[in-house]
Amino acid sequence: MVQINLPKNSKLQKGKYYKDKTGSNNLRKVNVYRWDPSTGENPRIDTYEVDMDNCPSKVLDVLNKIKNEIDPSIAYRRSCAHGVCGSCAMNMDGKNGLACTKPHSEIKGDINIYPLPHLKVLKDLIGDLSTLYKQYESVEPWLKNSNDSSKTENLQSKEDRAKLDGLYECIMCACCSTSCPSYWWNGDKYLGPAVLLQAYRWIIDSRDEDRKARLKKVADELKLYRCHTIMNCTNACPKGLNPAKAIASIKKMLATS
Amino acid sequence: MKDNNPISPHIQIYNWHISSLVSISHRITGVLNYLLLILVCFWVISLIFGPENYQYFKIFSKSIIGKFFIIGFIWSYIFQILSEIRHWFWDMGYGFELKTTKITGVLVILGSFTLTIVLYLFNGVLI
Repeated sequence: MVQINLPKNSKLQKGKYYKDKTGSNNLRKVNVYRWDPSTGENPRIDTYEVDMDNCPSKVLDVLNKIKNEIDPSIAYRRSCAHGVCGSCAMNMDGKNGLACTKPHSEIKGDINIYPLPHLKVLKDLIGDLSTLYKQYESVEPWLKNSNDSSKTENLQSKEDRAKLDGLYECIMCACCSTSCPSYWWNGDKYLGPAVLLQAYRWIIDSRDEDRKARLKKVADELKLYRCHTIMNCTNACPKGLNPAKAIASIKKMLATS
Repeated sequence: MKDNNPISPHIQIYNWHISSLVSISHRITGVLNYLLLILVCFWVISLIFGPENYQYFKIFSKSIIGKFFIIGFIWSYIFQILSEIRHWFWDMGYGFELKTTKITGVLVILGSFTLTIVLYLFNGVLI
């Protein structure tokens, strides 16, 4: 259901203000979404003054600096810091992306950091992605092939391999799915751009023998056709992939087969 | 406990892009066009009932509200048509590159206003 307003328990409150203690002249205000499951209070926006003279270039560095030097209670996911693992996906400056690849110099004014949109918040910047993972599981993201690969190689032509470019690079960070208004309103039924891109990655794989069944499974008013080509997904993808195009390719395959 | 978890902000904080703006406008104009067909019905009815009755429509169409409705009506339809053409290309699998979507999105917006002005100027007699 389309629910534009946030429910009562999700309304934002004014949070704490952490004044700079370093005496730096190069300060930036960083507004961070905070929610503590142990207090039962509404989420709040805390503001930190951060000394930018001693801060590396990415938004993740800003967060690390806050956690290390100002407020150790702040919670967020991060791992590789190189745009490979997809853990630090969040909403920065009104757009989803990976904190570890997003330079803070690209953001004008205060740096606003929120969790990925329209997720159940577990704590601070950590959203609950379990629905998305279940949906990912539902497209059976593994190769289905009757060849016994222990005896012979499973060969693929260069052309067929090239069809996977722009798909296999997906790191499942969920930036695209959580940027999609259709996924916000129908996230329980609509599969969303990330999962549909993954579905297409297996549909188009020449080695996979389950194409027909895969297409049939995904051909559903709610699962697939809730995509209205809003293009937020492609705009958000930190790896420069094009989920909207992948979804359109599925639709086209269904329309022409 | 889990039910008490807040939902993270979404439409309140997410930036608008050209493509998302055109997309929502496509929906809104779609609904508007449906409703505005009532206006066309009134126009046809006033035609059927002869010149005297048509005068009422004429008076309405010359009033400020009437002009607003008719110009809005023209814009809404042109926007829908241009945006739909964009969707056709998408359905055929073309024009998904970010740059292309930006350009075609701007073209739809600018084109809808330009064509509305052109139509208004050429049909000044009616309005």
